Amino acid sequence: MGFCESLLILLLALPAVGAIVVACLGQGRALLVRQISLGVTMGGALIALILAIGVAEHPSPAAQTTFHPRFVPGATAASPDKTTWNLIDFNLGRAVKTDKHAPKLGAIQFYVGLDGLNVWLIALTALLMVSSVLISWKAITERVHEFHAWLLLLGCAMIGVFLAFDIILFYVFFELTLIPLFFLIGIWGGPERRYAARKFFIYTLAGSVITFLGLLAIVVVCYQRGGHVLTFSIPELITTFNLLIEQADGIPRERDFYQSFQFWVFLAMMAGFAIKVPLFPVHTWLPLAHVEAPTAGSVLLAGVLLKMGTYGFLRLCLPLAPDASISLGAPIIGTLSVIGIIYGALCAKAQDDIKKLVAYSSVSHLGFCTLGMFALNSTGLTGSLMQMINHGLSTGALFLLVGMIYERYHTRKIADYGGLGAKLKSITFCMVFISLSSVGLPGLNGFVGEALVFFGMFETRKLFAILGTAGIILGAWYLITMLKQVFFGALKEPHHDGPAVEDISVREIAALAPIMALCLLLGVYPQPVLNSVKSDVDVVANILDRRQNLATAQAEALRLSRQAPREK
Amino acid sequence: MFDATFLMWLIPLLPLLASVTIAAVGRRWFPDKCHIPCIAGAVGACMAAILVFVAVAAGDEAPIVTGQNTPWISAGHVTANFSLRADGLSAVMLVMVTFIGSLIAIYSAGYMHGDPGYPRFFAAVSLFLFFMVGLVLANNFVLLYACWEGVGLCSYLLIGFWFAKPSAAAAARKAFLVTRLGDIGLFIGILILWAHSPGHSLEYDDVFRDPRHFHFGGMLFWACLCLFIGAAGKSAQFPLHVWLPDAMEGPSPVSALIHAATMVTAGVYLVARCMPLFGAEPAAQLIVACVGGFTALLAALIAVTQTDLKRVLAYSTLSQLGYMFLALGSGIGEHKLAGLAVTAAIFHLFTHAFFKALLFLGAGSVMHSMGNVIDMREFGGLRKVLPITHWTFLCGALALAGFPLLSGFWSKDEILTTTFEAWQQSAGPVGGLYGLLFFSALFTAGLTAFYTGRAYFKTFWGPEKLPPEAGHHPHDAPPLMAWPLRILAVGALGVGIVLGPFHLFAHFLDATWIKRAFGLLAEEHHANMPLMAASSVIAVVGIGLAYWMYVKQPEVAEQMSRRLATLFELSHAKFYFDELYELAIVKPMTILAHVCRIIDAYLLDGLVDLLGQAPALMGFLVRPVQNGLVQYYALLMTLGLAGFVLSILLR
Repeated sequence: MGFCESLLILLLALPAVGAIVVACLGQGRALLVRQISLGVTMGGALIALILAIGVAEHPSPAAQTTFHPRFVPGATAASPDKTTWNLIDFNLGRAVKTDKHAPKLGAIQFYVGLDGLNVWLIALTALLMVSSVLISWKAITERVHEFHAWLLLLGCAMIGVFLAFDIILFYVFFELTLIPLFFLIGIWGGPERRYAARKFFIYTLAGSVITFLGLLAIVVVCYQRGGHVLTFSIPELITTFNLLIEQADGIPRERDFYQSFQFWVFLAMMAGFAIKVPLFPVHTWLPLAHVEAPTAGSVLLAGVLLKMGTYGFLRLCLPLAPDASISLGAPIIGTLSVIGIIYGALCAKAQDDIKKLVAYSSVSHLGFCTLGMFALNSTGLTGSLMQMINHGLSTGALFLLVGMIYERYHTRKIADYGGLGAKLKSITFCMVFISLSSVGLPGLNGFVGEALVFFGMFETRKLFAILGTAGIILGAWYLITMLKQVFFGALKEPHHDGPAVEDISVREIAALAPIMALCLLLGVYPQPVLNSVKSDVDVVANILDRRQNLATAQAEALRLSRQAPREK
Repeated sequence: MFDATFLMWLIPLLPLLASVTIAAVGRRWFPDKCHIPCIAGAVGACMAAILVFVAVAAGDEAPIVTGQNTPWISAGHVTANFSLRADGLSAVMLVMVTFIGSLIAIYSAGYMHGDPGYPRFFAAVSLFLFFMVGLVLANNFVLLYACWEGVGLCSYLLIGFWFAKPSAAAAARKAFLVTRLGDIGLFIGILILWAHSPGHSLEYDDVFRDPRHFHFGGMLFWACLCLFIGAAGKSAQFPLHVWLPDAMEGPSPVSALIHAATMVTAGVYLVARCMPLFGAEPAAQLIVACVGGFTALLAALIAVTQTDLKRVLAYSTLSQLGYMFLALGSGIGEHKLAGLAVTAAIFHLFTHAFFKALLFLGAGSVMHSMGNVIDMREFGGLRKVLPITHWTFLCGALALAGFPLLSGFWSKDEILTTTFEAWQQSAGPVGGLYGLLFFSALFTAGLTAFYTGRAYFKTFWGPEKLPPEAGHHPHDAPPLMAWPLRILAVGALGVGIVLGPFHLFAHFLDATWIKRAFGLLAEEHHANMPLMAASSVIAVVGIGLAYWMYVKQPEVAEQMSRRLATLFELSHAKFYFDELYELAIVKPMTILAHVCRIIDAYLLDGLVDLLGQAPALMGFLVRPVQNGLVQYYALLMTLGLAGFVLSILLR
């Protein structure tokens, strides 16, 4: 096993081990707990950085038909992008049979790896983990060891989701994220934390259970129809399934089966992922969970957990149900995205709570993300992926800042504040900076993603793109208005007890500065990231392109065949 | 001789370096010397710009292009490079921006002296210069858009420079949002251009190569319209003009630099740059001309009754920008007129930058010595108190009024000529419309002379009157402020007569840009003598009228305002545009936002909660079955068994 493979394992294991160690330390050694947890997350960030550079330096080869993860632990030299590490082997005990026609049963594998689609999301997760630990330093004073144990476990689960290339492993990690966050919200949250935690848990679980059915259905169909080879590997499933639908194209009955199969599978996957994103009508768990969660929870929830939904669409839904994504996904999710962009922004404008405002801004921004994704071309997909990273950075930082202000004044009502710019100069600077990144000012990160999203969408559905641009002004409307009310104008501080309020501390700078630096870097020089995601985005785009062209050709043929008799 | 491409990089990078330096270490290391990097950056950029100008003038027709292979964003079908371009148009703009920028940076060192935000001010001004020259140098639409938003950001930061003042904070927000509304138009315009340009290229040369490329589906019209919406937002044209007067909340040098000389002319620059597209689309041109002409008239009407000196100048800026758009919009029909149109517009942009920057700096100087009072009712007769300011202001005012042989006269005359030609060359209702615009422009010229005279006479003539804020011994501009005023005054007097009568400006643009961009030389430039005479008379009459009304017979102005009370009130209240927008747009949107919030909290979330009650409801329905009575269970069991047996038997 090579260096990078070991690092990959370490990236996943470090927070898990850290969680156990921290939990064992018990009450009373809060400082040590925090230090360990900081060390663990910083180690994770360093590893993620090394791996990201590794991936960026060696982008995947172009023109692939399925994903080829790199740095796969347990891979053999012959097939470096597959693993041999089985978790549950369905083939055990059958090895003695030598019948050629016997079904080949695979295994649920510990199949993890990196490619362009997940590497930057993992880097984002690792970075936000550090910020989360730092921002909780003083905010969390009760049951510190438990808090950090859950936090680290959450970090492990989130990285697992992005790393997994086995469909079951993906699902396990996907659901595993719920448990730590449930406790983080339920124990350390605001006044309505229990209700929020329960709602968040049940709502997202209800969706993802249906997603699980969809994923299993794919596995089963690939097994039954694809020559009785059972596999749970996402790349292999993509290859097999796309082969199957291509073979079925000539046979009307088969074709119809796959069309309706994809229809249902798409709906099933959409159930879980759309709630996670969250798309427009199923977003109501989000503002509540955000407002009640402790700052670290909000940062990770907005920064990373929402991306699991969009990532699921990108990694599984588009390549495994391409026809349904084209015929069903593009119009429906496109529409929902546009509604979400505008509706989310309007809701954000009407909030009187800063944190809720930021929460609704997530609904709006994730709308950009899905809008670009369901442009279904490489421009839009790249934009969408960039938007995931950018939203993670900007909104993560916004929640950090809101947390800092809350920690100082213990209120989040916008009306309680005014003219903080005169008092908290550095925090104001950071807030203006991040807000500008969030509204997509060119030169900062937000613009790159948004622009690509709109370019991509304009290629396929002009109306959606044009309606979506309303988000550009609405986003500016609520954020700039909030800035004006809270930070500019005459100074108005809420009543607060305790020590005098001071500007940003070194610890808080450490939590924010890397994010802000990345915002600038990604805005000015996004090309390394764009290059490294290109070939993997193209895998998805090519699958969709092929299906799209085929569908167009078939529709054309159908039209001609209908016309022909008439002409006679 | 020298490497022009290297210099082209230097022009934006010097101000950027200055800005970063000030922002990073200025506050700590040299808090009261922060103007030095800013001035150095601006002057350095100006020298580089002059050299680039020389290179462009000396070179052949081809633009100097660099950085085509430095990608900024390249993904899917989108490629945006850091590509820069210097041709006649950008060279003129560059020299103007950096020259005025340098003077204003020097002036600001005096004006902003002692302000607690000194470092922040110069960091923002330098950043602005960076984005502004970037906007002019950009060779593709995405880079242009980026700098376009960048100057908007700096405008936002500088309008809200005194952010603790609620009116400044509100003005900054308004400016950002209104211009951003226009920016959406620009962005959609870019999307359309991109979708139809050969090879999805966003470079100027590719997009402009063959405008007919766009003709399918009438997309060219929409592309032009969207670009113009962007231009109208940035250049504060009706109906997006409401932000500029409020922007006067910023420090006066900012008003001079950003909101008079440079940023607000970006819209004119954009339309001029895209003239190959606009020229091929007469319908769009008509809209440009009408909006420009209308804004010119509207703003001049408002300027006549404003009492805030800076606001008079702000409305005058709107009006002059309207003139430029009117000129651009007159470039219809064959390419010949288009060449004439851009020449006139850019010439006016150039001269306007000098005299309007001068007037704003002069107003700033007045404000400086009057203890930040800028209401013309509070002071008067200042010509003895502030001699330098008075003389320089007079130069600017005469140039703006279009006094014969001064710079504004030449450029305004070219605009009138262009519109006149458009009227003559087009037939039917379109021609009539251009005729109307021509006469409206003439009338506006008279109004301009009148309100400029009014502002000048009210401020500097009449009995001497000082506001209490001014203290006992108001002092004139210190040297740091006086010299930029003097230099600009020379410019306002002389730029026109140097470049105008012999069409030097036009010939330069012809040779370095227009010929290549339009494939034709602009129409032979000839002076329209009767028109010149007419506009001279109009200017002199306007100024004379102002002199009569505000110096000779001050009570006449009073009587007039009473006699025309309705008109006066309308003009004084800026035709109630702010109130109208508040009522028609902001209020409904706010209400809609609250409706969304209520829908979200009660309807959508309520449905979810209701759904969450479903299992409990089910439990409630089947709960009676589990009532704990053993006999009841036994009965059920028996019944079940019976049913089971029956079903087997009856099968």
